[in-house]
Amino acid sequence: MARPLRVWVDHRRCVGNSMCEALAPAVFRLNASRQSEAINPAGDTEEKVLEAAENCPVSAIFVEDAQTGVRLFP
Amino acid sequence: MGMVTLSDDMFVADVIADPYPYYGRLREEDPVHWNELYELWVVTRHDDVVWMTRHHELFSNAVFRNDPRPAYPAIDESDLGLYEYVRNYQADQFIQHDRPEHLEMRKVVHSYFTPRAMEAWRPFVQKAVQELLDAAEHKGHMDVMKDVATPLPVLVIAQMMGVPAADRPHVRKLAEKLLNIGRGEHDRMKPLTEGMQGMIDYVSPLVDERLTNPGDDFISVLAAGERNGVFTRHQVLVNTSLLLLAGHETTINLLCNGTLAFIRHPEQWALLKGDPEGWAQRATEECLRYDAPVKSLQRLATQDVDMRGKVLRKDDRVRWFISSANRDPEAFAQPDRFDITRDPNPHVAFGSGVHHCLGATLARVEGQEVFKALAERFPSLHLEPEVLEYQPSITFRSLKSLPVAWS
Repeated sequence: MARPLRVWVDHRRCVGNSMCEALAPAVFRLNASRQSEAINPAGDTEEKVLEAAENCPVSAIFVEDAQTGVRLFP
Repeated sequence: MGMVTLSDDMFVADVIADPYPYYGRLREEDPVHWNELYELWVVTRHDDVVWMTRHHELFSNAVFRNDPRPAYPAIDESDLGLYEYVRNYQADQFIQHDRPEHLEMRKVVHSYFTPRAMEAWRPFVQKAVQELLDAAEHKGHMDVMKDVATPLPVLVIAQMMGVPAADRPHVRKLAEKLLNIGRGEHDRMKPLTEGMQGMIDYVSPLVDERLTNPGDDFISVLAAGERNGVFTRHQVLVNTSLLLLAGHETTINLLCNGTLAFIRHPEQWALLKGDPEGWAQRATEECLRYDAPVKSLQRLATQDVDMRGKVLRKDDRVRWFISSANRDPEAFAQPDRFDITRDPNPHVAFGSGVHHCLGATLARVEGQEVFKALAERFPSLHLEPEVLEYQPSITFRSLKSLPVAWS
């Protein structure tokens, strides 16, 4: 059973590059102002979520273990 | 007294020397302006620029492929054939594509440039900066452009390409020819095309080698894109050159314009010198905002678009002005003030949206390391002489040289 994640996007940083949406479309979606939202942290594997975070060109994506609060990215 | 109508000629001497008052008037009086002279829309407000960069489906980046209008500033009539070569070359860059092709192409190169991957280049950049400053130190003066800003990005890019040490002078010569992409001289097409063809001739055998024997260099990354059918061979070669075409002039401008801003604002220079390590990051962001390396970029409207009561027609040329957006009082308090304590600093020096600059983190690392090293090693830096000239370009904010001295 995969551990639940807490995922969020810092909108002061997000430039809408949308690579996260391309890599994990079930987790990230661009909103009306074309910034990314983590719509469903459980939408894909932890590996895919971390890959999306790693590939954010402005380091706007944050990932934590939802139960322990341990930071997984960055 | 009536208002003086703003001229559409953006290449006149005083606008090239200091474009900010000109942009300021456009932003105030006509933020979505039809420039009759170059037949293009000029967009100058921060919120409009952000909106446009985030709506890539309305503004095509396939400009070289689809814009039939001639080069500006004008080139020699006899060089029109060479301009065709340049257009075909540029059209194969991944950045000159729209979705869905652009996404597949960007995916190939994107993970090479992640913030973490570029951070790993910091020690290499630090060492290169120290060596360049070592070479200049005993002279007591240098041209920041020739001695630091021009060689540094080539050293980094050559290393990324996996160029053997013996070939570096050759790549540096080609890189200097490629700088003509941002120049305004009427006879610039010849050296530019020599640089482009020279890169193709030099990189071709390297691609063959990396296809059979891949490494962790950037050419291997592109070669993998060819193996997967995303890139043609010509696209692999052109996108290798793109590292130099997009990453050289821009970095030169960041380093020179930023250094000049510090020389002209002694109190900000004093602040940086007080804690170079602590301020380097925010200082670089402010240099990117205050005197951005790229003044403006062009797109083509993909359909009719309404903006501030104007209608941009399908296929119209559109240029958004980064350097104007970065001085918009609606987005920045006291926008004409160079202030390295500014935070947040939502400048658009790297654009935004799906075409956000791939090399942004690398440029930031290079800027941070150069400004830090100058503050540490040459605290008495000043201009010598005080006469500065800029390249006549609508795209780049490029000094011709930046002579400085220290005691």
